[in-house]
Amino acid sequence: MSGNSNMKFLYAGIAIALLLSALAPFLASSDPDGLESAAGGVVEEVRMSELEEAEPAVGSPMPDYAIEGMGKGGEVAAIAIGTLAVLAISFGFGKVFNKKA
Amino acid sequence: MHIPDSFIPLSQAIVYWIIALPFIIMSMKWAKNELDEMKVPILAALAAGIFAIQAMNIPVGMGTSGHMVGATLVAIVFASPWAGVLVLTLVLLVQGFAFADGGITTMGANILNMGVISGFVGYYTYVMLRKNMNVNIAAFGGAWVGLFISAIACAVQMWLAGTFPLVPGLMAMGTYHLIIGFIGEGLITAVAISAIAKSRPDLLEDSFAAGNERLDMEATA
Repeated sequence: MSGNSNMKFLYAGIAIALLLSALAPFLASSDPDGLESAAGGVVEEVRMSELEEAEPAVGSPMPDYAIEGMGKGGEVAAIAIGTLAVLAISFGFGKVFNKKA
Repeated sequence: MHIPDSFIPLSQAIVYWIIALPFIIMSMKWAKNELDEMKVPILAALAAGIFAIQAMNIPVGMGTSGHMVGATLVAIVFASPWAGVLVLTLVLLVQGFAFADGGITTMGANILNMGVISGFVGYYTYVMLRKNMNVNIAAFGGAWVGLFISAIACAVQMWLAGTFPLVPGLMAMGTYHLIIGFIGEGLITAVAISAIAKSRPDLLEDSFAAGNERLDMEATA
């Protein structure tokens, strides 16, 4: 119940998350996910290539969890950066909301 | 299950944003009322872990892969589906803006599917199952059902968008996500809950109370 053991939970969570970040680029399947697979099966070919070629509405700095020209190391870095960003944002969000209460 | 921008016309994507928005606001109200200095590190650790594990797609056969969503797991730990909505909103924001995983226009739909539907269906299925089953099986079942129903909702949205035909879309999304839900969502959620129950049973007190009949029986046995 103590704040101390909750901080331990946080450190364990960070360790697990960073371990997953390092492993993901090597272990993750490159097969399309359920939605993309379904699209491949049920959408007509012409429409499918339209969908695939469409640009996202807003550009992203690290599309597909990769950093251009950095290979697997870049993927590890991208996922680790994302993990730390989510960590910082949720921690910051929690702190801010906490103070308002 | 992240929907890219091109899969839903803008007008419909806006409708999903409008539906998702009150849920996002309610999840923030939950945070304001329920989060305290003690719980913030738990929330942050879960959010980071879920972001990382979502990067790890698991092959499920038929040339398809899938990953965990995690809303049910978060909801069980905090004994509230609003916690699941909040964490998935934060995760999806980072995924959409930084990594082009899920579109920005379709983010409302993605938050609705993976945060709201998966979180609420998963959590309340867990609460129902918990009355008659042990916590691991209830967590497994809740997470599995939560993911499956959110995939069905996604298939219906794809039909409304004119992207998928209705029946083949439902069949394909349903089949793939039954398997993804079993491995990616159910098993991982059960293992995570089991690990937390062993190392930090105090964290799950509120959640155990949600299936309190069973707990009373265990206590008197």
